[in-house]
Amino acid sequence: MPFGYHGCYLRIDLSHNNVASRTGGGRVKQELVPLADTVLRQFIGGSGLGVRLLLDEGCAHLDALDPRAPLIFAFSPLVGSSLTTSAKFAVVSKSPLTDRINDSLASSGFAVAGKSCGCDAIVILGRAPEPSVLIIDDGQVRVESAADCAGMTCQATDTQLRSRLGNNFRIATIGPAGENGVRYATISHDGRHAGRGGSGAVMGAKNIKAIAVRGTQRTEWAHPREMVAISRDLSQRSFGPATAKYRELGTATNMLTFNRFGALPTRNFQSGAFDEAENLSAEQLGATRAKTRESCVTCTIGCEHLYATDNGAVRVEYESLFALGSLCGVGDADVVLRASQRCDELGLDTISTGGTVAFAMECVERGWLDAPWLMFGSGEALLRAIDEIGSREGLGRLLADGSRAAAHAIGHDSIAIAPQVKGLEMPGYEPRALQTMALGLAVGARGADHNRSGAYEVDFSDKVDRRHATLDSVRHAIDTEDRAALMDSLIICKFLRGVFDDFHGEMAAMLRSVTGWDVTPDELRDTAARIVAAKREFNLRAGWTPDEDTLPERFFDSPLPNDALAHLSRERLDALVAEYHRQRGW
Amino acid sequence: MHVEFLGVSRDRAGIAEIDVEADTLGRLLGTLAARMPGLAELIVVDRLHPSLAANLNGDRFISDPETPIGDDDRVLILSADAGG
Repeated sequence: MPFGYHGCYLRIDLSHNNVASRTGGGRVKQELVPLADTVLRQFIGGSGLGVRLLLDEGCAHLDALDPRAPLIFAFSPLVGSSLTTSAKFAVVSKSPLTDRINDSLASSGFAVAGKSCGCDAIVILGRAPEPSVLIIDDGQVRVESAADCAGMTCQATDTQLRSRLGNNFRIATIGPAGENGVRYATISHDGRHAGRGGSGAVMGAKNIKAIAVRGTQRTEWAHPREMVAISRDLSQRSFGPATAKYRELGTATNMLTFNRFGALPTRNFQSGAFDEAENLSAEQLGATRAKTRESCVTCTIGCEHLYATDNGAVRVEYESLFALGSLCGVGDADVVLRASQRCDELGLDTISTGGTVAFAMECVERGWLDAPWLMFGSGEALLRAIDEIGSREGLGRLLADGSRAAAHAIGHDSIAIAPQVKGLEMPGYEPRALQTMALGLAVGARGADHNRSGAYEVDFSDKVDRRHATLDSVRHAIDTEDRAALMDSLIICKFLRGVFDDFHGEMAAMLRSVTGWDVTPDELRDTAARIVAAKREFNLRAGWTPDEDTLPERFFDSPLPNDALAHLSRERLDALVAEYHRQRGW
Repeated sequence: MHVEFLGVSRDRAGIAEIDVEADTLGRLLGTLAARMPGLAELIVVDRLHPSLAANLNGDRFISDPETPIGDDDRVLILSADAGG
């Protein structure tokens, strides 16, 4: 077994559960399954290891909410080390929103405590007979009733279970949205979310309201002194200019930048400029209300900016501000902060929530949907829609399955304006204004995604013409996708990406110090491509076809109203996608 | 030309916009570093620190210090890692 790993994963079958009592706890079938060194070296951990395990389970044909479909929590060799930002975990499953692969990441103590249970991943199968808490106590698994947490918010559930189990457990929960099967429900830990693709609905389908972990089993490091030296150097650099944006302003500062470039999706992608963007900017939020900063466990950046509101401090990122703000035409910062907070409470992905609501708003505007209260710019409507989605009541019954499913129900060819790729609602990057990113969004294995493709960075550079992508853009898009796959598998936070002078060399050094492997930069390049290919393999088994690698019809053949040069033809995107497939060897 | 600061550069400059006389990107950055101490650590002689990027008129990104800039141009200085 290599250093940095336990060399096994914990496989839990909830269907073999004899009792789920509040006091005694029910036993479930559990086994420790060995992991071959070759598998670990080829897929590392996090997203990579999770996808490999998902493929091994042979479940791609199952419905994502079928009890037999696995829900996987994958750690990494770096978890537990002193390397900054390494306390992260990946949640991997089939997505109930896209019916394709889903890997979403979250941070902090759950990763460390989960790995300390003596495993490199936790694979959960089956369905508990009643709403339950899955407890993994130093590798021993039991379930307890979650009846006392039913309908609770993510935060209230965490508080309730800490009170019951003790503060030394680390807890991942779903909110009411996950319980109600909202297809973009999140899994929450410590206020952060494995947010995209509906992993919370998968957990809810297993009747698991929360997972509580604690453990004492540590892994050894191959070269501890080298690792500490790398950690110190990396931490030092994490205080420098390369992360200043995240420390000083947070991602919310993107709001003004994107608006200036006409790339801020507004009113369901009808425009790339929002008159009220200033209200939602980091600069304005910071100037008008008290702000605090927080960090994940082991992180030296501290990117989380929390703004004071009447309902307490609210953590907010650019993606939430765009999705619940400009995309819905809402410029009232108090409303958008409350909307983001409400999504966090209910356990809803803010991007998919905002995208689906904005889509419905445009359908109302076009007379395709009879919900006259749901108007662009109405904060009251936005908050009502969020609550109805979380509870699957009223209009929420239609919107809880995402914009693609809603479009199929609404008809009128509304799929052309549903802001999604493969069913996953699009993040805050106007593809006509950022065309390398347009490619990244189109080909993403989990759908439209800014965390698996960093192609927007290429658009904001002198490498390409952001409003006229050429075939030369493709290699850049592939490079950012591969880098993301590597960082999501090691796992290191992407907010560190700017500090690396020699990305692959430094990744290899980190992995060498932890595992002892003589890994080279070239090997890691191959590893990244392998992980991306593994995601595609899952999608192929799930029924993927090449015509899924595209964008909604609305983005073709009409330029942005605020920028006539921001024009993308279907032929151009098709050529980029074809070249992407060719360069990938697919 | 007119300079617009976005994100960290605005925070460090303490202002959103300024007019500066310079005929190349390098000379513009040198002037900004001299005038605005808060920006100085993000400008290395006549180039931006890699965490920042410069854009001409919202159109193309520029990095060569010899890039000519006209009186009517607008130079935007923003974070290079523009995404989330």
